[in-house]
Amino acid sequence: MQSSKNLENVLEKIKTLVGSDYYSDSLEDRLCYSYDATIAEYMPDAIVFPGTPEQIAQIMKWANEYNIPIIPRGAGTGLSGGSVPVKGGIVLCLSRLDRILEINEADFFAIVETGVITQKLNEEVAKRGLMYPPDPSSMKTSTIGGNVAENAGGLRGLKYGVTKDYVMGMEVVTPTGEIINTGTRTVKTATGYNMTQLFTGSEGTLGIITKVIFKLVPAPEHKESVFAVFNDMNQAAQTVADIIKSGVVPATLEFLDHITINAVEDFKKIGLPREADAILLIETDGVREAAMKEIARVEEICKKNQAAKIQKARSEAERETIWQARRSALSALARVRPTTILEDATVPRSRIPDMVRGVNEIAKKYNIQIGNFGHAGDGNLHPTILTDERDKEEFGRVEKAIEEIFDLALRLDGTISGEHGIGSTKARFMVKEVGKEGVEIMKKVKDALDPNGILNPGKMFL
Amino acid sequence: MPFLKEKVEDIVKCMKCGNCQEMCPVYIITKKEARVARGRIRLIKAVMNNEIELTDGVQESLLTCLQCDACRITCPPGVPVNDLLLEAKAQMLAQGKALPENQNKVRTSIKGESNPFAQPQKERGAWLPPELRQPKPAEYLLHAGCSISYAQSRIGKAVIRILERAGVNFTLMGDLEECCGDPLFRMGAREEAEKQVARNKEAWKKLGIKYVITPCAGCFKAFKEHYSDEFSPLHVVQLFAQLIKEGSLKFEKPFKKKVIYFDGCDIGRHGQVYEEPREVLRAVPELQLMDFPKNRENSVCCGGPLLGSYPDLAKKIAADRVREAARLGAEILAVACPTCLLNLKEGAKDLDVRIDIQDLNGILIRAL
Repeated sequence: MQSSKNLENVLEKIKTLVGSDYYSDSLEDRLCYSYDATIAEYMPDAIVFPGTPEQIAQIMKWANEYNIPIIPRGAGTGLSGGSVPVKGGIVLCLSRLDRILEINEADFFAIVETGVITQKLNEEVAKRGLMYPPDPSSMKTSTIGGNVAENAGGLRGLKYGVTKDYVMGMEVVTPTGEIINTGTRTVKTATGYNMTQLFTGSEGTLGIITKVIFKLVPAPEHKESVFAVFNDMNQAAQTVADIIKSGVVPATLEFLDHITINAVEDFKKIGLPREADAILLIETDGVREAAMKEIARVEEICKKNQAAKIQKARSEAERETIWQARRSALSALARVRPTTILEDATVPRSRIPDMVRGVNEIAKKYNIQIGNFGHAGDGNLHPTILTDERDKEEFGRVEKAIEEIFDLALRLDGTISGEHGIGSTKARFMVKEVGKEGVEIMKKVKDALDPNGILNPGKMFL
Repeated sequence: MPFLKEKVEDIVKCMKCGNCQEMCPVYIITKKEARVARGRIRLIKAVMNNEIELTDGVQESLLTCLQCDACRITCPPGVPVNDLLLEAKAQMLAQGKALPENQNKVRTSIKGESNPFAQPQKERGAWLPPELRQPKPAEYLLHAGCSISYAQSRIGKAVIRILERAGVNFTLMGDLEECCGDPLFRMGAREEAEKQVARNKEAWKKLGIKYVITPCAGCFKAFKEHYSDEFSPLHVVQLFAQLIKEGSLKFEKPFKKKVIYFDGCDIGRHGQVYEEPREVLRAVPELQLMDFPKNRENSVCCGGPLLGSYPDLAKKIAADRVREAARLGAEILAVACPTCLLNLKEGAKDLDVRIDIQDLNGILIRAL
């Protein structure tokens, strides 16, 4: 805990630097910035909204001098406690850095301040026939900075990759208060260490990203969607494997399990078959003829694997209905019990049936409800635990179940987080995956960049 | 009494996903967590759990809520935010938390003169022709509402012309018309609000009224919520749509303009009336009807509810809507609510755009 004289001093300086409109230490605001989209909550000492990277650099210098934790934050919609002030300190909210600086249509890149909401970037580049593919479900509210710091994924990940695949360079304020630029505007570079990819996914622990250079791709000219119902999970899983093996790379290949299907049907009544064991939702995109040929191949494969029902969208409206089912999965599950915990343990694609079966067994063992849905195409499922955090006894069982889900994923050669990050919520499990030596190496990097350990403490292995 | 204890099941539903940030006009302008549903719910929880008192800061967070309920649309567990806010305000008042000065004035004014503007009750019908200033038995009661009676009678006059043209047998309370009670519900003065409701119901029963029709979206919402056990409430556009279908109302004159219809929150998300205004506008010859990309239940509030207490914020929010309408190429921004009309006009001031903001009824009489 920081000394209060030190804290007062530095808060005064920061308030003067950014202006009182962009500073708060009221109890009301401290309560409002104590959380993200998880159940983790810790009170900050103050909240600051800097207007420039230079202001951030100055704040970092003072923070080092006075030993005050700094916690960078975008929209605060993260799913791993990444922006939660575990050790108190100052929440540094980047929302004022919200300009799209450049969209280069000749060289296919965009330069964006990190407070920009991801959807806004999507919309702007779409106007120019381009696409920024990473589409995390939170993209209408989450910011670029958060996406890059957590290496956010999304439904299009299977074909297009995730956030890290699009980061070409960035401007970063280091923990000791320097402003550096990494990467390039060129497609390729071989200059020095790949600092760009070091900071990407560093969850705000190695530097505060203030600008990003993103690669863009041409927007696909055509899309096709198919929806397939299976009475046996294994058939669905085999279908996923067969689709990929056949050379088709769908833009999206999503899965809903039995519990999720019923939750969606309870909520939206769109006519999903309640007895189904699994539903797959597949979208192909690209040049018109290719997208159509690919979806035809997908339909054949579904048929070969005994899909009980296959429906191809014949219009934009029908496409919408199909994807409604996927988009309302979380909302539907969230209505079942008061507390909803979304996990993202990920396994290699071929191990999905084992993962789904394993999660179901864990649910039975601990007598809790878990719905499963997600990115079957890349093995990134979202086991979603439905509970009530006020029931301490049940919640104890939930915590044990979550730990077993991580162990299960690791046993199946997977990872404890596919796209949400480690943050504070999975920090204690990280060593299971990367091992002691893995943690040691990361710690060396962290200590080199942040010798006083003031940038986002209490996250990852720290 | 523990703050909002009876609403705890709704409050714990909040999963803190932050989806509300997408829809909240106040958050979009301020980017502050205490100005969005997620933050407001956290503060309500904090009061409930004695983490904080009912401070001015907490009150301000709740008072800056438009209560447009747009957040509920993207909220995965569907937290009924508007309901929570109404309950919170009632309990704040009951616990002795003073209302801001402008709201106190409104409260006193409604108590004394049955309108929020401190205007005399006996002048309420002054905008009407003498034969309509006193009520008579009829099936349809046209309720003008306080805003239209005292500040925007053009809207009322347009409605009367349309009703007379269609041959509707209607009456008005005229000088005896009273406030529907909505501003009192909104500020949490429930007992006084219920008294208004009771007075109105009493007066209308005596006239054998079946349908209460109104061009005021706020009154329409209040009628749906508090009066529909005894009367059938309609926004005037609903009646117009019906009359058009029956052939009693026809628009002959062309109105060749690009008109974008704005779904106000009281008529839209709260009142659930989306199609009739569009049907009516489509019945006007040569009118080109447009929609905002976010329309119907996804429509973004104009900021009107904050006009009295936070006019700068209300103006900024309205400016966003007007700019967007202009950017979409509309020539006229049409509304079915006097508050939207007033606030959008405010928002349009100082903007460098060419777009006309009009009440829907004003457009219709041009086409009669």
